[in-house]
Amino acid sequence: MEQFFQQLLNGLAVGGIYALIALGYTMVYGVMKLINFAHGDIFTIGAYLGLTLLVSCNIAAVLPPTAAVLVIFLMVALLAALVGYLLERVAYRPLRNAGRLSAVVSALGASIFLQNGVMLIYGARFYVYPDFLRPDFTVHLLGLAVPGVRLLIIFASVVLMVALSAFIQRTRTGAAIRAVAVDPGAAQLMGINVDRIISLVFLIGPGLGGAAGLMVGIYYGQIDFTMGWSYGLKALTAAILGGIGNIPGAMLGGLMLGIIEALAAGYVSMAWKDAIAFLVLIFILIIRPTGILGERTAEKL
Amino acid sequence: MCVLARLCTIFLLTLLPLTVAAGEFKIGLMCPLTGKWASEGQDMKNIVSLLVEKANASGGVGGNTISLVVEDDAGDPRTAALAAQKLASSGVLAVIGTYGSAVTEASQNILDEAELVQIGTGSTSVRLTEKGLQRFFRTCPRDDAQGSYAGAALVKGGYKAVALLHDNSSYAKGLAEETRSALNTAGVKVVFYDALTPGERDYTAILTKLKAAKPDIIFFTGYYPETGMLLRQKKEMGWNDVAMMGGDASNHQDLVKIAGPEASVGYFFISPPLPQDMDTSEAKAFLEAYKSKYKTVPVSVWAILAGDAFKAIEGALASGAHTPDAIAAWLKQLKGMPGLSGTLGFDAKGDRVGEFYRVYMVDDKGDFVLQPK
Repeated sequence: MEQFFQQLLNGLAVGGIYALIALGYTMVYGVMKLINFAHGDIFTIGAYLGLTLLVSCNIAAVLPPTAAVLVIFLMVALLAALVGYLLERVAYRPLRNAGRLSAVVSALGASIFLQNGVMLIYGARFYVYPDFLRPDFTVHLLGLAVPGVRLLIIFASVVLMVALSAFIQRTRTGAAIRAVAVDPGAAQLMGINVDRIISLVFLIGPGLGGAAGLMVGIYYGQIDFTMGWSYGLKALTAAILGGIGNIPGAMLGGLMLGIIEALAAGYVSMAWKDAIAFLVLIFILIIRPTGILGERTAEKL
Repeated sequence: MCVLARLCTIFLLTLLPLTVAAGEFKIGLMCPLTGKWASEGQDMKNIVSLLVEKANASGGVGGNTISLVVEDDAGDPRTAALAAQKLASSGVLAVIGTYGSAVTEASQNILDEAELVQIGTGSTSVRLTEKGLQRFFRTCPRDDAQGSYAGAALVKGGYKAVALLHDNSSYAKGLAEETRSALNTAGVKVVFYDALTPGERDYTAILTKLKAAKPDIIFFTGYYPETGMLLRQKKEMGWNDVAMMGGDASNHQDLVKIAGPEASVGYFFISPPLPQDMDTSEAKAFLEAYKSKYKTVPVSVWAILAGDAFKAIEGALASGAHTPDAIAAWLKQLKGMPGLSGTLGFDAKGDRVGEFYRVYMVDDKGDFVLQPK
């Protein structure tokens, strides 16, 4: 039983990060019906930006660690949002009226471009975050010794997800985003500036992705230019599992995927954990083709 | 008429690369300059170009200069096949490379059909030299040699319950299997045998399961990034009483950077020695030249083995072997040539002969310390 709870917590921490990245995929898909393949690379950029800011600005010397982490967190989210905005302007907006396939190809191209760009700027070797930033305390929970940073990761992911939900559901801008997702043409007729909403979506999604990159950097320490690929693939799976285009679905899908992986690794076979996770995805898609929380709409694939 | 002239030009242009300019030997280097092993590949390129420059500066080989043709294989079998095709049509005599057994394997037949010599450098999978290819060699040892050495080291260490972990790559899996059979023969119990997914960040689920198997040593046969994460998260779990051991793919300075010096103290691995730990004059001279040009020391032993491959080819050219078949014949009789990682020599299959595995341990400063034999 102790091992079960341990694996559950392992899975929740991984799942929280999947969920944060999955939000970026699902928001863009909801509004533009486009899988933004470059999202995983924005996650990588977030991790590298965080390290660059930490080392170059020397914030940690001026502020206490907790405040330093918060400041860096905000800066990285803003900068990653900016990268996302530029990506949309350069790679997607010129193709807005072209076929959907052209945009997908453009997304793949942007992903390769960003990944190799990071490699050319930072080099191919691994970078490691400084250790002192990592909150180093242990919480005793149900007889388990849980590293505190693990709980903080879960907590931070949940806070960001709840804040995003409140923004989408409770504010006028959130309503506008939902309107564009349902029908861009009608939204435009209602006086919503569709271009601005799309830009906004490309600020929020990448901002969250960048923040997730920073969290991975601080927690796991090791970053490299290919890290966005595996995290991006898992997050996309999570988004589809929960119902792509649906924000609570992305969160649920991310957490579920993390837990399934951890339990599969713990109780079946480590080598097969990805296969089992994808098997669960296939079963869920057979029963509910739109994902767990996906709506049944004709125009969504 | 115009079309005909253009066709002729194209025809001549395609012929051009095949004609080797007089007084020049072309050598190909295939290495992962991009992709997940870019760090190793860039080291390979640095080292071989350094040796080529040195050879040319001292008058070349018998008055002929050597030119190096570098192709990127991105650490990916498909790209490697393309790279091999490009090299095969670029007029090289021999190809050095590459890193990764599966990647090397994708290029083997292409280069063999082009009748070129290939010297693998980070290609340890046993079957690569079991195919009867007459012009394939390797400067790295085979997995079975490493597996039996690892098994012997574990037995010598007095371990009773060994956990074997690999990453499903053909290299790490091969090493894990060889070690398992060596341990079974010696009567040591393997309490855990499974694979992790490389490239991930979170291995706590795996470590939790490993801990439940109660091993007294963990032997992870994969690469240094995952090793580093395992060490780091193992310490974070507060699981400090069981040591970890690694194979030669963990011989990379970044290991300690990733794991943190505290978590890596006492970690040990088996590997061919790095030039900084060798006391031969070849290794010392090379290290000086490398330091003065690149202002750092080579971080991966695999890149050194690419340097050895070049030394072997250079030796063949100097002896008057100027065709791929002559080079291959010369290499097969080679014994005891001083190389960067020890003496160079090949057997009839093309495998490197000689024992050069050693045990390294990480000390409390985070340095890799060569253990006495």
